[in-house]
Amino acid sequence: MSWSSISRGRRMKTEYCIVLGCILVGPLLLSGHRRLRIYSRWKPLLKAMLAVSTIYWIWDVIASARGHWSFNPLYVAGVYILGMPVEEWLFFPVLAFVSVFTWEAVKTLLWKDR
Amino acid sequence: MKEYTILSLLSVIAVFLVDRLLRTRVITSGVFWIFLAVMYAFKIPSNGYLTGRPIVLYGERFFMNVRLLTLPLEDFVYGFGLMALTIILWEHFKRKGDVR
Repeated sequence: MSWSSISRGRRMKTEYCIVLGCILVGPLLLSGHRRLRIYSRWKPLLKAMLAVSTIYWIWDVIASARGHWSFNPLYVAGVYILGMPVEEWLFFPVLAFVSVFTWEAVKTLLWKDR
Repeated sequence: MKEYTILSLLSVIAVFLVDRLLRTRVITSGVFWIFLAVMYAFKIPSNGYLTGRPIVLYGERFFMNVRLLTLPLEDFVYGFGLMALTIILWEHFKRKGDVR
């Protein structure tokens, strides 16, 4: 089996978006658990999401422009901002949210009696 | 060395410094490495799909083209920085707002 490319199956312009959805769905469904106290701390959550996204957006725009990486037009919706598909912009807030959720979930599971 | 290779390594050094400057002590905590293991377990299939389909293509001149499955080695380094910085900033803003 070759890992060089996963080229089978119908090509959909929604695929990057579906990947983001797959990353987000589990954490989003579980994040309301009150022991995690994620939404009651929405201010630091939004601040962290915005701060980390801003830093990595800047890196991403420059790196994309230089050609470090590019996005296959077959798998994105076709909406571009500063040369990057909108899916790529969403990647960072999505990942920041999933990271915070996982961090709080791991801590809660490890220290059950806190 | 290639640009993406250097930048990914520099980002990790920068994130270590931020962790020290903000005194968040995230990376040096044991729980961080458990968190990281969980995140990488999900990162490999999702990032693997992005790089394998491929949805994201890499410029030959800018990375080593050494891959684990479909993932460039640099992506593991980059991901470390991204995930660590997110948690450092979350801990920092939680403490600043006194909502720990």
